[in-house]
Amino acid sequence: MRRVLVLVPFPMTPEQLDLRRAQADAAELPPDLELDYRPVLAAPSSYVSHHDYVLADVSLFEAGLDAQADGYDAVCIDTVSDSGVAALRSMLDIPVIAAGRSMFLTALMLGRKFGILTMWENWFPLYERTLKDLVLTDRCAGMRAAGVNPDNRNLLGGKEEEVLPLLYEAAARLVEEDGADVVCLGSTTMHEAHSYLAERLAVPVLNGGPLSYQMAEAMTALDLTHSRRAYPRPMVAKPELIKAMMLAAAGAEQSS
Amino acid sequence: MTRVLVLVPFALDESAIANRRQQTAEVALRPGVVFDYRPVTAGPTAFMSPHDWALMDIALFEAGLSAQDDGYEAVVIDTVSDSGADALRSVLDIPVLAPGRASLLFALSLGRKFGILAQWEPALARYRKVLDEWGLRFHCAAVEHFDTPPDFAALLGSKAEETLPKMEAACRRLIDAGADVICLGSTTMHQAHQYLTERLDVPIVNPGPLSYKLIESFLALGISHSRRAYPRPLVPKPEMIHTMLAAVRDESGSL
Repeated sequence: MRRVLVLVPFPMTPEQLDLRRAQADAAELPPDLELDYRPVLAAPSSYVSHHDYVLADVSLFEAGLDAQADGYDAVCIDTVSDSGVAALRSMLDIPVIAAGRSMFLTALMLGRKFGILTMWENWFPLYERTLKDLVLTDRCAGMRAAGVNPDNRNLLGGKEEEVLPLLYEAAARLVEEDGADVVCLGSTTMHEAHSYLAERLAVPVLNGGPLSYQMAEAMTALDLTHSRRAYPRPMVAKPELIKAMMLAAAGAEQSS
Repeated sequence: MTRVLVLVPFALDESAIANRRQQTAEVALRPGVVFDYRPVTAGPTAFMSPHDWALMDIALFEAGLSAQDDGYEAVVIDTVSDSGADALRSVLDIPVLAPGRASLLFALSLGRKFGILAQWEPALARYRKVLDEWGLRFHCAAVEHFDTPPDFAALLGSKAEETLPKMEAACRRLIDAGADVICLGSTTMHQAHQYLTERLDVPIVNPGPLSYKLIESFLALGISHSRRAYPRPLVPKPEMIHTMLAAVRDESGSL
């Protein structure tokens, strides 16, 4: 049995975690691949500012730090922001799958240019960071938002009727006006919209969460992992310090 | 049962096809997916000139044209040149996996810059062309070759002892040039993958087995190429294309 640890970027109730877990239903994974979902200890309220990006990186870094020692074969990060990925890769030998960059690279296997569909414009800078890091900005036809405040924990919960048409309208403009051959969902929290959009759009729609599980399956089967030359180890690793910081953060959140 | 058609770019006999088929043994594949190998009817003898590229395109296009009607759910092109892939995508709705493009893009999920291991000097022009076409020149640290003429049928064959160290040396030049991932520049190099992986400290992307895993993923997720990127022809001419290749079937012994 191959075990994959999926890191969830916000602390969650068991019910909220089930909404994240539902992504696996869309992935048709082989029976010898098991996904465990683990939320972070503490997190920023959303990912809209550099304040949040730093906290996101550290929180996911801590959550995955023990993955290899815990016997996992791969780690998936359940956010298109790819927060914490580079830091985790520097410490782990098992593959760490970045949902965002995997999705953008896969989109280029299916078409010339991709568009990014998201809930609100506040997430645009997250994609810009990844595209710049990948040096693939010129392959992104555009970004469009539904203009709806996202709910990172309850996802679309009850607002489908209102949100889905807005997402479709923005996606159609990505295709018709911006020239996207492929539409990438800008957040794993949008997975509930995938089938609605895929049924209505004439281009492939990529769903970052399930795609990341497929990549974990492929990498473990091929015995491939990230390059140590691209992600060098630290001279002095400080896992205890990182854990102590996040435990303190969780304590601070509880007491506030 | 899911059937995937693997298109082999040379008109090979069964023993040579077996060398190609070995690639499926190099990776754990999912139960219920079957890979069938189909060689082209005719094609170029080598692969180093635009003359050859044009023939390879039409040969692979023809070989895969009926894949969907034949009941296949996906097509994999067994050459990193991705010959024929764009044309096949324009007429097929099932996914057509182009291992060249896919392996270079996949390499960028493992490291920052890839290096490409080429067979010999005449192959270099082809890689320069694809790097430009796909806009990936910035991401390529270097292309190095190991100065050995390819044998598309026997692959490494009996020359392994002599060739493998040369391949390793070329890979080390790639790493010195800044590659943190190495892409094998041909599916015919698959027999060297394990040897190189054991000796080098960077991931080695083996395009054939990778393409099988990616096509499994695409099938599981229900995704295929974009019709906007690969528009249909106004008037498809499959009969004409089949006739063209049938007319040169007897030429196929040129290997």
